[in-house]
Amino acid sequence: MKDEKDINIEKDELTGDELIKGHDYDGIKELNNSLPKWWLWLFYITIIFAVVYLIRYEVMKTGDSQEEEYAKEMAIANMKLKSKRSSSLDETNVTRLTDKKSLEEGKKIYDKLCLVCHLSKGEGLVGPNLTDEYWIHGGSIGDIFKIIKVGNPSKGMISWKDQLTPKKIQQVSSFIMSLQGTNPPNAKAKEGKLYKPEN
Amino acid sequence: MQIEKFYYDNKIVKYFAYATIFWGLIGMLVGLLAALQLVWPSLSFDFAMTTFGRIRPVHTNAVIFAFVGNGIFMGVYYSLQRLSKARMYSDLLSYIHFWGWQFIIVLAAITLLLGYTTSKEYAELEWPIDILITIIWVVFGWNMFGTIIKRRTGHIYVAIWFYIATFVTVAVLHIVNSFEVPVSFWKSYSLYAGVQDALVQWWYGHNAVAFFLTTPYLGLMYYFLPKAANRPIYSYKLSIIHFWALIFIYIWAGPHHLLYTALPDWIQALGVTFSVMLIAPSWGGMLNGLLTLRGAWDKVREEPVLKFLVVAVTAYGLSTFEGPMMSLKSVNALTHFTDWTIAHVHIGALGWNGFLTFGILYWLIPKMFNIKLHSKKLANVHFWLGTLGILVYAIPLYWGAVTQTLMWKEFTPEGFLKYPNFLETVTQIIPMYHARIFGGVLYLVGVVLMIYNIAKTVKVGNFVADEATEAAAREVVSPKRMKGEGWHRWLERKPIQFMLLSMVAILIGGIIEIVPTYLIKSNIPTIASVKPYTPLELQGRDIYIREGCYTCHSQMIRPFRSETERYGEYSKAGEFVYDHPFLWGSKRTGPDLAREGVQTERNYKPDSWHYNHMLKPQSVSPNSIMPAYPWLIKNKLDISRTKKKIEVMQYLGVPYPEGYGDIANEDLKKQAEKIAANLKAGGIETTSDKEIIALIAYLQRLGTDIYNK
Repeated sequence: MKDEKDINIEKDELTGDELIKGHDYDGIKELNNSLPKWWLWLFYITIIFAVVYLIRYEVMKTGDSQEEEYAKEMAIANMKLKSKRSSSLDETNVTRLTDKKSLEEGKKIYDKLCLVCHLSKGEGLVGPNLTDEYWIHGGSIGDIFKIIKVGNPSKGMISWKDQLTPKKIQQVSSFIMSLQGTNPPNAKAKEGKLYKPEN
Repeated sequence: MQIEKFYYDNKIVKYFAYATIFWGLIGMLVGLLAALQLVWPSLSFDFAMTTFGRIRPVHTNAVIFAFVGNGIFMGVYYSLQRLSKARMYSDLLSYIHFWGWQFIIVLAAITLLLGYTTSKEYAELEWPIDILITIIWVVFGWNMFGTIIKRRTGHIYVAIWFYIATFVTVAVLHIVNSFEVPVSFWKSYSLYAGVQDALVQWWYGHNAVAFFLTTPYLGLMYYFLPKAANRPIYSYKLSIIHFWALIFIYIWAGPHHLLYTALPDWIQALGVTFSVMLIAPSWGGMLNGLLTLRGAWDKVREEPVLKFLVVAVTAYGLSTFEGPMMSLKSVNALTHFTDWTIAHVHIGALGWNGFLTFGILYWLIPKMFNIKLHSKKLANVHFWLGTLGILVYAIPLYWGAVTQTLMWKEFTPEGFLKYPNFLETVTQIIPMYHARIFGGVLYLVGVVLMIYNIAKTVKVGNFVADEATEAAAREVVSPKRMKGEGWHRWLERKPIQFMLLSMVAILIGGIIEIVPTYLIKSNIPTIASVKPYTPLELQGRDIYIREGCYTCHSQMIRPFRSETERYGEYSKAGEFVYDHPFLWGSKRTGPDLAREGVQTERNYKPDSWHYNHMLKPQSVSPNSIMPAYPWLIKNKLDISRTKKKIEVMQYLGVPYPEGYGDIANEDLKKQAEKIAANLKAGGIETTSDKEIIALIAYLQRLGTDIYNK
């Protein structure tokens, strides 16, 4: 019986695999090979993964939803940052820095963040001219510190307190004060009130 | 048994082959222009029709529907006739199909350049063209089924299973995703809004990849690879299992394009899990292709056709592994919105679709012209240039994507974003954009060599338009299952039942995911303060769509600290209920704009900033790669259709007061005056009737509603 069956089986010459009888499509034949074992296992494993995933996240809800993930991420960040961000430096006690290093740091921040609206020499574009003696929100170190910190969003000046530490606001404020009287070309016309330093 | 004489129609195959080559070249050239513009924005030429936002959809549509589309038809018309032992059902239908499809492509290119677009990716074409596509697609299906029905063979081969699944599914996808209500001949609003629109769109978008770029090409592989290698298919059983598993599972995976968005969690979870389950069914195709070559690898070394096919199948295996990995939420959090996706799709498009097409062309053209290929050597050079091109294209983009995504997410020890200025993260990866251009050029040079090689072959060849052949008539057998006949074997001689069963397989996933978002209210929690757009904002939104702003800017803030810190409160499902269509975007070449109008968030900019920025982005953001939009400043806003637009929105369920269409333009003008006054205060002289005013109104509205409590 067995021998008889073997005679009936057509084999592929190169691999010795069994060809399926009657499968001939424009000369294309098909082999009777089984599914590769590892392929089948791969399929099973992904199905198991899917079932476990769906049960965990959508049925038992033991996995975090994306809102819960976010809440946790923020809680951890806030805890870590509380100590680092607390600083006693604010607009009431800030002082003007005049040392070279601080001014250099201030210029770096200015070039990165402020230049877009106030231009590179402080001559003003969307934002006001920072080189003259006229100030919309006051020209003392405390005034400048405050406007950077809280902003004036309706005019396009955003609040920078979530991007700059008080120390950095102090540095950039000090740098801005150093631009006083530089008279850059094409400066914007004066806006706001005249501010004269008290001393 | 009676032997019948008949003729294969080779002319239609030749037509589609030439169209494939022609549109392939065009599509790739447009892609090259887009890549150049990302490095030198001035190559937008300050001209509306050549800006990136309009070029990019032309590139994607040309490559998908013109290059690969014609490639599908070329391969199907050649193989279907031979696998059915029959000429195409109707020559008339064949040529209506051919010229109809080319007409659609030309219309598509023109309208997209003119800014007529629905904004839905790979489904940008406006409603009249959508209807035309439906008609021509039916012509194709009719012709194909006619041929299958009158076939002389008993059973349909696996290649044809894939053609059938392609026909059915593309028809369903195209029709469902294209439901839109016309405002005018070239303008419509999507029937769906916000979350639902996004879901339907990416169910479509993902499955355009599945059923336009994958299943038909698997069908082609199943015919041309064993033919070219002269080897039997490795496993018939594998064909059956991977075919059904692939089409059933693929349809569910669309939501992986919307991970961490405002899409309900459970749909995202389905997207993740079904994507992972897709690995094995996809690899089934790769295995059946590669293992078919067992015993013939020596031929692969010598035959450029086989080289192209092997790399194509390998690229398919790579991207179908990478895709599921990118569908894991933790991976997606890094790769989404970056160039990783761009690299991924190009492994598919350049490797799988491109190389398979080239392999088929190198095999088919000499065959139909009864001559040897002009130069095997040149084909080999093409092969190596192409392979190198793919690598040089993709690797730098992967690199750039990782760099940029890590920069987006990096915080300083003080807890601030290390790179708060989005542009810094763009400037950082510009060198990678240079490299990708070089990779693309290498690939393109290869294509030009192929065109030369084919032209030379054709010139001396002897083309037979009607190839004489003969075959026995089909045996008449019982329609019922015969003794000892497996159920699938039975199905293989029942093409209509086969089609119906594959339709059932592909409908299940879509129905389960999409229908509940309509029926179950809790899926999209409403927000009381979210109101419809004002008429001016609506007009501005249409300009945003026309200019393709969504090709580079997303409007979807994901719930990550790095995103809420950069852009503001994460996006909620209820914020998009009046967005016909949704504009979440899929790529951040520029920053997200979901909260652009919120004054208390860090991205807020005054009206005058937007004005200057549109006029010349580099004047306010040096090194920006955004193109300029000077025509928005000159063009007058067309308000003749405001009424109609409001009425269509009302029809779609947007709650404007009754009769509001009649007075909408009064409100529009009032709001425009206000913005013009703001601009004047900022030192900008303009009039309130310009397009830029409407666009500014829209941008300043973005994301603000939930803050108006």
